Amino acid sequence: MADFIQLFINGLALGSVYALAAIGFVIVYSATGVVNFAAGQFVMFGTFAGVAMLANAGLPWPVGYAAALLAMAAFGALFFIVVYLPLRTSPVVTVIIGTVAVGIVMQNAALLGFGSWPFRLVSPLEGITIDIGGAAISAHAAMVVVVTGLLVGLIWLLFYRTALGIGMRAVAQDVEAARLMGLNVNRLLALSWMLAAVLAGIAGLLLGPMWFADVNMGDPIALKAFAATIIGGFGSLPGAIAGGLFVGLTELLGASYLSSAYKDLIAFAVMILFLLVRPQGVFGERIQDRG
Amino acid sequence: MLSTDKLVVAYGGSVALHGVSLRIGGGETIALIGANGAGKTTLLRAISGLNPVRSGSIHFDGRPLGTLASEKRVSLGIAQAPEGRRVFPGLTVEENLILGTTPWRRWGQSPAKDLERVFDLFPRLKERRSQLGWSLSGGEQQMLAIGRALMARPRLLLLDEPSLGLAPRLAEEVYERIRQIAAAGLTILVVEQNTVLALAVADRGYVLENGRVVLEGRAAELKQDARVREAYLGR
Repeated sequence: MADFIQLFINGLALGSVYALAAIGFVIVYSATGVVNFAAGQFVMFGTFAGVAMLANAGLPWPVGYAAALLAMAAFGALFFIVVYLPLRTSPVVTVIIGTVAVGIVMQNAALLGFGSWPFRLVSPLEGITIDIGGAAISAHAAMVVVVTGLLVGLIWLLFYRTALGIGMRAVAQDVEAARLMGLNVNRLLALSWMLAAVLAGIAGLLLGPMWFADVNMGDPIALKAFAATIIGGFGSLPGAIAGGLFVGLTELLGASYLSSAYKDLIAFAVMILFLLVRPQGVFGERIQDRG
Repeated sequence: MLSTDKLVVAYGGSVALHGVSLRIGGGETIALIGANGAGKTTLLRAISGLNPVRSGSIHFDGRPLGTLASEKRVSLGIAQAPEGRRVFPGLTVEENLILGTTPWRRWGQSPAKDLERVFDLFPRLKERRSQLGWSLSGGEQQMLAIGRALMARPRLLLLDEPSLGLAPRLAEEVYERIRQIAAAGLTILVVEQNTVLALAVADRGYVLENGRVVLEGRAAELKQDARVREAYLGR
């Protein structure tokens, strides 16, 4: 039982990271219609922003975390200007290839800057464990779950309780009508990219102490986040959360109770099953074409 | 208040407006009538800055609008209830209305009074305030589109085919509300295929054919005009 509790909490923590990555992915997709294949590299950038600020620059962790997230917000804005704006009237295939290409560039930029040797990003709660039902839970894993829960609450407040968030939803639904409401559409689209980048940054900072900070970590995360959005429902925020947690839990429980060689089998098998049987996912939204 | 001078708008190679000139004085209600494809919607879109102007000009309060962005025109006081209503389907009635306050609302300013005024005008919207946009009937969506435009506190209200797709009874109800809004002193430019309804509320009217103004005058005179009666009033 103690083993199970420990695995369950760790699975929730890993799932939380996938969920955050998936939420960022969904925010960008619903606001701009772009399927961002560089989403995994955004998370990797988040981890390495943490490495740069905490390990390399030696900043105390609250300052270092804030600096890393500010850098991610700036990166989101840069991505909006350099990648999204020039491509926004291009055919969808061009945009997909564009984000794949930028993802490769990001990965190699990280390789150039940090080398192929993995780093260890130390958690502020390093070495602390909490006893729950006889299971020793790492305080970091518990913090990941709590922080993700708080963030989900904040995101909900933003989108449903503030004029800014309602405006972002309006832009996602009808750009031209949004202009007629007096909304500054470009500013809101830029904010969507920045929000996605910051969420990926938080995911990266939280993931760093759980994995090694490795320049190749982006691809597995992108695959898991992608599986999470398909299982949960493409374009759905509750779906991204549920899907992320599911993928994280099956990964850790599967590794322990089945075989670590097949730990990813369950999540991807379920994803394929959903694609075949219920492509709109658990919280499926109506599939609609964008004008 | 608003004037267009020899306005030319084209989509690629095809010209939709061939030099349209019209003027709207403060407090007037103007009907723009004409058949499908005459260029009525194109003109409203050009005024709101959604279609680029090829030549000619639009002046609002004596000031040329040039290439001013749509959202800035809303801030100047030009609000539009567009063709097809364009209610945000995934937002509630209240959220749709609150979005309309974007041009004037700053931190700490409450939209409550404006909301109340719109709910007084369209009580149905109050009953449906927490329903999502897509779940409304056509008539309710039209009321929401007009109410949302009013939330911007406009000085010029542009209405594109407010009767389109509505049962006659409902269309009359919507026009009764437009009459009330006009009576309160707001300047209105209404585009309409239903000539009877439009000329009943308007002070003056313009008839648009193939992108040109072919006739203009007082609404009462247009109603009696032989060409209008034959082409648009079915007699």
